[in-house]
Amino acid sequence: MNKQISKLILLILLVCGSIASAQVVKGRVIDESTEEPIKGALIEILGTKFTATTDADGFFNFASGIPQGDQKMQVSAADHYNRTLPIVVNELTPVNIDPLYLRVDFSNQEQTAGVISLTENDLSDDQNAANNVSGLLQSSRDIFLRAAAFDFSATFFRPRGLNSEDGRVLINGLTMNKIFSGRPQWSNWGGLNDLQRNQNFTMGLSAADNTFGGLGGVQSIDMRASQQREGSRISYAAGNRSYTGRFMATYNSGLKSNGWAYSISASRRAGEEGFIDGTVYDANSIGLSVEKKINDNHFINFTGMYTPNRRGRQSPMTEEVKNLRGITYNPNWGYIDGEKRNSRIREIEEPILMLNHNWQINDKVKLNTNVGYQFGRIGNTRIDNGGTRLVTLDGQDSYIGGARNPNPDYYQNLPSYFLRNGLDYSNAYLAQQEFISDGQLDWDALYRANASFTQQGGTSVYAIQEDRIDDDLLMVNSILTADITDNILFTGGVSYRNLKSENYARIDDLLGGGGYLDVDFFAQETSNITQDQAAQSDLNNPNRIVGEGDRYKYNYDILVDEIDAFAQAQFKTKKVDFYIAGNITQTSYQRDGKFRNGNFADNSFGKGEQLDFTNFGIKGGATYKLSGKSFIDFNGAYLTDAPTIRNAFPNARQNNNTTTGLESQTVYSTDISYIYRSPIVKARLTGYFTQFKDGTDVGFYFVEGVTNAPTDGGNAFVQEVMTNIDRRNIGGEIGIEVQVTPTIALKGAAAFGTNTYSNNPNIYLNSDDFPNLDLTFGDGTTNLKDYHIAGGPEQAYQVGFEYRDPDYWWVGATANFFSNSYVDVAPLRRSDNFITDLDGLPFPDYDEDIARELLRQEKFNPYELLNVVGGKSWKIGDKFVGFFATINNVLGKEYRTGGFEQGRNGNYQLEVADSANPISVFAPRYFYGNGRTYYLNVYLRF
Amino acid sequence: MKNKINNMRAFHKIIALAFIAAITFSCVGDDDFTVPTFNDTTPVTVDGNVVALSTVASRLAQSGDDTFTFEQSASGVDEYITGYVISDDQGGNWFKELIIQDEPENPTAGLAISIDVNPLFTRYEFGRKVFVKLTGLTVGTSNGVTTLGIAGAGSDIERIAASSEADVIKRDNLVADIVPVDVEFADFSDALELIWVRVNNVQFVEEQIDLSFAAESFDQFDGERSIKSCNDAFGATANLWTSTFSDFKALNIPDGKGSISAVLTRDFFDDVYVLYVNTPEDFDLTDTNRCDLTPVSCGNAAAAGPNTLLSENFETQSTGAAAMPAGWTNFQEAGTETWEVYTSGGTNASLGKSVRVGSFNSNDASTIAWLITPEFDFDAQTGEVFSFETSNSFSDGSTMQVLYSDDWDGTTAGIATATWKPLADATIVDDGEFFGNWVFSDNVSLDCVTGTGHIAFRYEGSGDSGTDGTYELDNISMTSN
Repeated sequence: MNKQISKLILLILLVCGSIASAQVVKGRVIDESTEEPIKGALIEILGTKFTATTDADGFFNFASGIPQGDQKMQVSAADHYNRTLPIVVNELTPVNIDPLYLRVDFSNQEQTAGVISLTENDLSDDQNAANNVSGLLQSSRDIFLRAAAFDFSATFFRPRGLNSEDGRVLINGLTMNKIFSGRPQWSNWGGLNDLQRNQNFTMGLSAADNTFGGLGGVQSIDMRASQQREGSRISYAAGNRSYTGRFMATYNSGLKSNGWAYSISASRRAGEEGFIDGTVYDANSIGLSVEKKINDNHFINFTGMYTPNRRGRQSPMTEEVKNLRGITYNPNWGYIDGEKRNSRIREIEEPILMLNHNWQINDKVKLNTNVGYQFGRIGNTRIDNGGTRLVTLDGQDSYIGGARNPNPDYYQNLPSYFLRNGLDYSNAYLAQQEFISDGQLDWDALYRANASFTQQGGTSVYAIQEDRIDDDLLMVNSILTADITDNILFTGGVSYRNLKSENYARIDDLLGGGGYLDVDFFAQETSNITQDQAAQSDLNNPNRIVGEGDRYKYNYDILVDEIDAFAQAQFKTKKVDFYIAGNITQTSYQRDGKFRNGNFADNSFGKGEQLDFTNFGIKGGATYKLSGKSFIDFNGAYLTDAPTIRNAFPNARQNNNTTTGLESQTVYSTDISYIYRSPIVKARLTGYFTQFKDGTDVGFYFVEGVTNAPTDGGNAFVQEVMTNIDRRNIGGEIGIEVQVTPTIALKGAAAFGTNTYSNNPNIYLNSDDFPNLDLTFGDGTTNLKDYHIAGGPEQAYQVGFEYRDPDYWWVGATANFFSNSYVDVAPLRRSDNFITDLDGLPFPDYDEDIARELLRQEKFNPYELLNVVGGKSWKIGDKFVGFFATINNVLGKEYRTGGFEQGRNGNYQLEVADSANPISVFAPRYFYGNGRTYYLNVYLRF
Repeated sequence: MKNKINNMRAFHKIIALAFIAAITFSCVGDDDFTVPTFNDTTPVTVDGNVVALSTVASRLAQSGDDTFTFEQSASGVDEYITGYVISDDQGGNWFKELIIQDEPENPTAGLAISIDVNPLFTRYEFGRKVFVKLTGLTVGTSNGVTTLGIAGAGSDIERIAASSEADVIKRDNLVADIVPVDVEFADFSDALELIWVRVNNVQFVEEQIDLSFAAESFDQFDGERSIKSCNDAFGATANLWTSTFSDFKALNIPDGKGSISAVLTRDFFDDVYVLYVNTPEDFDLTDTNRCDLTPVSCGNAAAAGPNTLLSENFETQSTGAAAMPAGWTNFQEAGTETWEVYTSGGTNASLGKSVRVGSFNSNDASTIAWLITPEFDFDAQTGEVFSFETSNSFSDGSTMQVLYSDDWDGTTAGIATATWKPLADATIVDDGEFFGNWVFSDNVSLDCVTGTGHIAFRYEGSGDSGTDGTYELDNISMTSN
């Protein structure tokens, strides 16, 4: 160690010596408690534009140019208290402050840890994954983004209306966004918070260190063992939001004299249920990093993560259900053996292994090369109620059995069903009482049914189906960073990802039955196909009886190759810093069917068409330094993105068909900010504009009243495909923090935007009731222009304060106000299907005024949330003990975080009839935010 | 070195703590639930009086009203009935209706229970003994059958709410073997309603053989199919209907003969008896030897032949009497009507003397009348041509057939057991023909027939004499080359 330091000092002296008129200010920043150097600390000469950053060994150096005289130097570093100290600069005497101690600020660190813990509940809920970007933002230092991460996340606020797939998450330089959805799978590294303290977040389009990035910024996590702070740490957390208890233990060796470093962390998070009833939580995590410093230029690191995670899921509710049972109601569970069992379990087990090579080729150039491999599975269970037995008559097959949806909130169980088309008050009352007093899944009835049915035919009526995605992902990339000159930083990289994704359903549990006959109970005979053919999931093995663990219903692979290259140059000048970057990506998708589906005998088995996409992006931006305190920052980008897999194959479970009219999405985006930074005030004001073109979206649902559908009543289970979707996000955001006294800070944040459709997208329906037909309506579009994109409030405001006592305790509170959230509209209802009867002719009783009222997009009521947080830490000898606690939604406010219109009422007549009911039967379903929740964390560092 | 030891010690601490943590938190028991066992070995007991199932219908009858509601007795004791489930909705042929009968074997009463639960087979499988609490329920007649449910508007019986199911119906541990009651179509009666019956030696009628159970474009609510009994070649058909919501609606109806087990009930409008099966397994129609009337067909001849073998215009017969030319057989198989000689003028004129039969307003439960020619020897000559003329008067529900038999023994008793084959090429007056017109049968060639045999004119009423009419017949001729 000493050798290296002396080498560096020598180097610095040499550099300094070569400069003639040197107003040299240099030094070394050291952590007060650990005596370790602090990397990446920011040194600012206040009132000037001069800044510097410390290197890996804590050194900084201003070679020249600092005005002579008395100056104030401010030092800030992550997880430490800022320090401002006076210096005297003159030509003759270099200023050398070594060591410059910074005191650890645990509050910040623990608060961040708390946010991670609180948000990981929502992060692993797939229904809101798109909306949840708080995971991305948690490492940001920006005041506005911290508000978004800490306080706005409870309601799925999306900064600038962007989704999590618009951002990038990197671990050790490898992109962790899933290829299937483009979204990060947060639970793959959940519970390893202690190994992920080295994070940095690049906001929006700004130039990132190691990737081209996305619209929503880049979160880069460094899990290399040598980068972890030496020491041990154990913590225990309790809460009532998702898990009820968390235990975490971590040990980091630091870089040892023999060149090895290792880190290990293990945690367990568990709970019988969270805020929502029956949401079991069972997660174990283990992470390991081992790094060997081969010499000064070569580091080899291995990181492995294994984080099996089981969660009981909740369901969105209609207003009717919520009014009867409250926001903690969950229809998915029922008692069995005296315990709550959830029928919808999400289980994720996708270990990640990676090897990282960091090579300092010379003092200007470094090369980071990574290989990653991820495998495992994502499973979602649910009840399959379509179990039948084969009954043959005169050589003809029929499938006898099948049961109704056993979910307690099935629409036919609710009071609204009895009040529709006439008022059956007595039965509505009985249904209401039944739903209130019971209203949970009857596991016993399912087992009983299977026991009886198995005696007759040997198969189950009910089973637990698990929808599985088993990915095999290989990732390789190389990132080159070169300081071409003192003013130009070049970054470039290439990456390759290869994915084989096995998608299938399997029998998870036969619920006591003897097997499951793998046919589609709902298959209908058509003019082209007999029912017993249409019902087959695999014509190659018809009428198969499957057992637990067997694949059934659908089975296919998705094969993906993706090659990406990017280059970026960052320039620094006295007045302006600017950058330019570009990337190019080649993506190919192919579906390989393993079953020959009865409805799609000719286009379901074997490989389908290979889809190829070539995409590119360019972006650039500049920061103009108005003064040492104020800046103007500007970014612009033009990008194209390949459609995601889920949007490329509209009915992948049944066939190889690809989306008609599929195109890459084009995006252009720009933002401009004014930034002000003084020791007292930090503020940012930003305006942004993002236009998306040619987006694609596929949805699935059961609908009635489809015009020209060759089925009774136009009823069908459909895939709804929207293409040519144009969206526009426009708005502004403000963040401001005022350090009123050294201990009290006031902060405020505001976001105001509109996220709308900017055209009428194309829409068509597919279904196995009309195979290989794209059913369109009228001119083939849906009138979505100017409807709002659903997903969190478009306006969010915060005011808050923080008090940090020098005695190592702190409290804070924020009041948050949200408005302008909208329901997710049903696109089919905005197409010509709405106004036409089954035969394609307009409804005779169509009334445009009524229709306009029916199609008005619901805007949720505004609401306010009050959050408080506080903590304290003690130093006992060389150990630290501390705790922090938060109470979210102190007032217990009930609010909707999101919702969607049910697609079932496909046309005007159905919607008019249903809306005339005392309670609409197919009303929108909503997600509700948690009531008052708490989280408490205690920790010990040694 | 010391540093290393310290690190190792710390590392061990971590491991120990992790171990403790694992034990502390490993109690989330959501996985691996054991399969519940249902030890239904003890018969269920109910807290109340168990009365005979037939009580339900008899109370209704005694009340003299359209419905009868079971009130709780003054002593507070509930009344129960017990029965065995014979409907099974696993095939989708029943909907929110449970049919029970009083005994598994030799039942004497059946009952429909209307309840708002779907599916029912998952709890009430075929043969399951159940107890039904009558208190608060109402019995009435719904779609022609005795139905237990909730009092609705007027005399309507509505479904028992799903939430009351557990209170109303109690399952016994017994699942009995239900022995079907063997019946003929003629036995169908109110006493057999809602009983598990079996009809034997039956088949679907020939003209429906290519149809599915209930997936034809014209099928609404039910696929209305007919079966006939092979025990009675000319017997009435019976209704075997299948719901268009059934799981097996798309199967083609079986074309063999054999037996069918089903629940006997009434149609929606209470007009006819209908059989409903539970699943395709209730059909045992595996005998491919159908009992259809196989037609005789040699085509038509251009004209009658030069030699007359038979020419009968009934001019020598006595008006008003049963037609009985020499060598002919006139047989009244059922009912009060017979082929008799008549004359008539005006718009509905006879051809001189003609014969006719009609059961309109006869009040016969069944009317069957035969008029059979003398025996022909088809080997004695060639080029036989047969003809006759028919007219009708509002024949409506009644039918007339022209049949050939080569194995009739000439006795009236033997008519029923002989094999009769329709003459496919003979034209019989259509129901839609103007009543005054006479229709020529065409010159029916019988050149391809060999051996000896008789030709019969067979009239059959519909069983509802109000809808029957009259057939008139004359100028019966057989010629040859």
